[in-house]
Amino acid sequence: MYDFGIKNPTSIDDVKAALGDAEDGQFLAGGQTLIPVLKQRLAMPSDLISLSRVDGLSGITAGGDSISIKAMTRHAEVAANADIKSAIPALAKLAGGIGDPHVRNRGTIGGSVANNDPAADYPAAVLGLGATVITNEREIDADNFFTGMFDTALNEGELITEISFPIPEAVGYIKFPNPATRYALVGVMVAKFGNTVRVAVTGAGPCVFRVPEMEQALTASFSPDSIKDGLVPADDLNNDIHASREYRAHLIGVLARRAVAEANG
Amino acid sequence: MPAITVRVNGLEVTKEVGARTLLSTFIREQLKLTGTHVGCDTSQCGACVVTLDGKTVKSCAVFAWEADGADIGTIEGLADGDKMHPMQEAFREHHGLQCGFCTPGMVMTAVSLVENNPDIDEDGIRHGLEGNICRCTGYQNIIDAVKTGAKAMRG
Amino acid sequence: MATYVARNGIGENQRRVEDVRFLTGHGKYIDDVNIENQAYAMVLRSPEAHADIKSIDVSEAAALDGVLLIVTGDDWKSTGYDPIPTKSAVRTFIDGSDMKVPPHHALAIDRVRYVGQPVALVVAETQDICRDAMELIEVDYESLPSVTHQSEAIKEGAPQIWDIAPGNVCLDFELGDEEVQKKAFADADHVITLNMVNNRVTATPMEPRGAVADFDPETGKFTLWNSSQNIHANRDTIADVVLKIGKENLHHIAPDVGGGFGGKNGVYPEPILILHAAKELKRAVKWINDRSESFLSDTHGRDQVSKVQIALDNDGTFRGLRTESVGNLGAFCGTVGSFTPTGGSSRTQGGPFKFDGIYYTAIAPFTNTCPLDPYRGAGRPEGSYHIDRIIDYAAAQLGMDPIELRRKNLIPPEALPMKSPMGLDIDCGNFPEVFEETIRISDREGYAKRVEASEAKGMKRGFGVCMYLECTGGGPKEEAKVTFLDNGKVELSVGTASTGMGHETVHAQLLAGHLGLAMEDIVFRQSDTDATEIGGGHGGSRGLEVGGSAVTQTSRQIIEVGKKIAAHRFDVDADKVEFEDGRFHVPGTNHTMTIRDAIDSQNDPDNLPDDLEPGCMNISSVFERGIISIPNGGHACEVEVDPETGTIKVDGYWVVDDFGTIVNEMLASGQVMGGIAQGLGQALMEDIYYDESGQLVTGSLMDYALPRADDMPRMVIAYYEDAPTEKNLLGVKGAGEAGCVGAPPAIVNAVCDALKEYGVHHIDMPLTPEKVWKAIRDAKATG
Repeated sequence: MYDFGIKNPTSIDDVKAALGDAEDGQFLAGGQTLIPVLKQRLAMPSDLISLSRVDGLSGITAGGDSISIKAMTRHAEVAANADIKSAIPALAKLAGGIGDPHVRNRGTIGGSVANNDPAADYPAAVLGLGATVITNEREIDADNFFTGMFDTALNEGELITEISFPIPEAVGYIKFPNPATRYALVGVMVAKFGNTVRVAVTGAGPCVFRVPEMEQALTASFSPDSIKDGLVPADDLNNDIHASREYRAHLIGVLARRAVAEANG
Repeated sequence: MPAITVRVNGLEVTKEVGARTLLSTFIREQLKLTGTHVGCDTSQCGACVVTLDGKTVKSCAVFAWEADGADIGTIEGLADGDKMHPMQEAFREHHGLQCGFCTPGMVMTAVSLVENNPDIDEDGIRHGLEGNICRCTGYQNIIDAVKTGAKAMRG
Repeated sequence: MATYVARNGIGENQRRVEDVRFLTGHGKYIDDVNIENQAYAMVLRSPEAHADIKSIDVSEAAALDGVLLIVTGDDWKSTGYDPIPTKSAVRTFIDGSDMKVPPHHALAIDRVRYVGQPVALVVAETQDICRDAMELIEVDYESLPSVTHQSEAIKEGAPQIWDIAPGNVCLDFELGDEEVQKKAFADADHVITLNMVNNRVTATPMEPRGAVADFDPETGKFTLWNSSQNIHANRDTIADVVLKIGKENLHHIAPDVGGGFGGKNGVYPEPILILHAAKELKRAVKWINDRSESFLSDTHGRDQVSKVQIALDNDGTFRGLRTESVGNLGAFCGTVGSFTPTGGSSRTQGGPFKFDGIYYTAIAPFTNTCPLDPYRGAGRPEGSYHIDRIIDYAAAQLGMDPIELRRKNLIPPEALPMKSPMGLDIDCGNFPEVFEETIRISDREGYAKRVEASEAKGMKRGFGVCMYLECTGGGPKEEAKVTFLDNGKVELSVGTASTGMGHETVHAQLLAGHLGLAMEDIVFRQSDTDATEIGGGHGGSRGLEVGGSAVTQTSRQIIEVGKKIAAHRFDVDADKVEFEDGRFHVPGTNHTMTIRDAIDSQNDPDNLPDDLEPGCMNISSVFERGIISIPNGGHACEVEVDPETGTIKVDGYWVVDDFGTIVNEMLASGQVMGGIAQGLGQALMEDIYYDESGQLVTGSLMDYALPRADDMPRMVIAYYEDAPTEKNLLGVKGAGEAGCVGAPPAIVNAVCDALKEYGVHHIDMPLTPEKVWKAIRDAKATG
């Protein structure tokens, strides 16, 4: 690890000031990705701006048609939350399948979404459920949020404060874990809102993406059989030692069908 | 260098720590509690698991200064004097350890699993140990130890 | 030699003595060893697979505050130290010429030959300064073409790694009578051929390697604490051969070692480098490998590609077996690395089955990869995989039942003792009984129901078996030394090395049982060149076989001396004294004396007969194994395969082992289950993978998958105990490696059974979901 300075702001205003004071500051949320990256000297921030002591950044609020999760809420809290389990069970399941129990006790939804790791689970939920990402500056639709590998619509210094998930009529999430890291080799979330169906895929490409062909087919008939093979071409998918692009393309279809089956109970 | 105050196994300590001092390094090198082991550099193995305010964390993926004000539990604090914790006893009874290197993290995790779910079943235990790698035992004796430990903890 | 069965100590599931230390966080592993004022060392490793070192500029690094010493290959050359030698038991080509042994210096000199090879040593006040300094060292590499796969390395035109080894071949090898094999093939109705891969894996003990070196300028003596499995032999190599300081000047100690599995057996460069640094700096120097460095620099295992052929008749009778292997050695010979694909993989060819003729041949080439050395089993897992896979494959090709094929061809007990076509002395055992018992305990009655349940979920279920036969190995001699201390404690020092196997318990259990002493009075020492004169360390499942026999032998000698002391007291002839349950007594009299009495008497000359000296019960003896033992057993495995994703769930596992006498079943089963986990890892997920440019792609736990708790099935382990061997004093056959010998073929056989309806009869390890999916898809495509 290279050396760095530490800032421990306690309010969102302080966060902005701390970042402004730093030459090349970086937010530290749960640290479950960032700290290993720092250990390997793959990043060299001048300062870490810890979000752990910022007031009002943690907690879950259930409303009539949405559930709002503050950015520093840990995965374990989401997984165990009764409102989420009953209203958006696949979201609780997704959170409960991230990494391992220790990662879930530290990792945060805001950190995961801001990092936009191509193999992370949360982006599938944010995009699949059409959530709204709320920052200290504005609200960003999920469809406009994820812009590329490890890239988002967040401006320099913009901080996610909470994410609001609309409650779907039916939802399912199926993940095929990488055997070494338990990250998603492929993960598919399918959510149904009245006549709208959203399908989001993580792990398979450089960035989480929707599958319009599946969404159309499922809008016509919300059943596993609606999803034909080959709806997602392999060409643009990730190809690495853990899975070839054609295997990932195949898995998207299988997992999407299973996610629909799960959504249908 | 920030000074932090933490309660470690019930005892309060105040120490200066460097910005890049990991909680694992703080525990091992500054507190000399070497039961917490470091088995990897990518935060996968779980040998370094301790409790932070009652929740298990990989101490190699937390900075020491993040723990300021927190309660930390390490393997050294589990026994009551010479009397081992029921989970420690169960690991011995079931031969749930061989080389012993993953054991502190494994036992800390096991205690936490049972505290969170006293009636945890075999499937729950296997999934609950997802973040702790053991290369010696094949896990079966660990699972059996956790079951016995759970029973003893239920009283 | 008569088999000696102890009255006590054997068959007790003694709970482990070391556990309290480990469970309460008081184990002392290498990173817990700290010497006052120690410096820290790290190794700059090659990022290139094959390159000339044009220059190394350390000036900036050396100027960094806190940097104490930097050593490069040029510096190393000027020291006059020798290369690390290789000790392979097979040393000559088939034609009798010498194997090719390139110089393995602790630091690369002029050229690097694998990614991860040590290029420079940096010593500084802290590890962070070491890392900073390493970034400032400028090495100018000129890349050379490289080759990482052994089959490519022996092709014409392949990049040449060593001038002394044309065609990259270190060694070739044959065993068995090729003429007999060829005749068997000619006479047989069928010859079935299968090419198979024993994938490259790494031991991955949870504790990374590390060492602390100290030097006393006053006495000229060195101390090396080292996370090693082989303290005495490595002391000799490091001190006498490499550094030439004289072994009497190196005190070599292993503290608690957090797993080894062979990966901590060899002589590695880093401990040698820090001994040098400690002398230069007159300061203790500590070095701890990162996990990612471990993947680059811990010796790897397996990595053989083999063409296996079996000849059999229409009625299923096996006639001949022929295996041609190419085993990767990496860039150097390793400590005994070249033995694994040659002698190591040859001896157990054919398993416990009858053949007219078996012939094994191997080529061991160099490649631009990390050196290979023994990993748990070292050759026997390969041999077992060869025979047990070819049987199932042949059965599939010929429409035969793989279980019946085994049943028909197992060597019957009445044929024992025998010498196998590979020269193994198979003295005892009952292979048919072990096999039938394996089938019996594996719940065949419930199988049809489980198949039905799987099918209902869209899953495919399969059942596979393996009948393995292996052999022990490692150093043939072991010392056990007993010293009765004034405080009433009994110090037992043994030259074996426990890295988790529980020697601290089982050796003490034997001594306590033999002598009638209390376990808690025994103080155990191991892995310390001051504790025993000799020590064979760990390897080849030798702990009880050789070490336990040494403890037994020393115990018997102590009893003989005790009898003389008792005879002296009772004024009878020593041969009138008997020993039982910790007491000497003279039958037919009231004369009894406890062992504790005898011990208390041994220091006073008045209590001793003329031919005994004070301290006469403090005895050290060396047991030497004559012939290696033959553990054997059956593995059975049930799997459920998701044909849509290719995911495999191992759903049931049953083992019957013949380890001869079982001293402590709890510990034996621990060894078996841990071995199965490693075998399952090799079969399903573990793979050390270098890309074409020689970069290690699976270089961390992010990319190299190890089995976790939810990957493992529940295992049932049973024992066949009716055939103790007479090759050692305990009747034991060795338990440490058997699990990973039997598991890979049993698991792969079960998967292929599950997939037989698709026409999938072989997939190379590791059987990742993608490979399984592709095999099904391709089989469907070709109809």
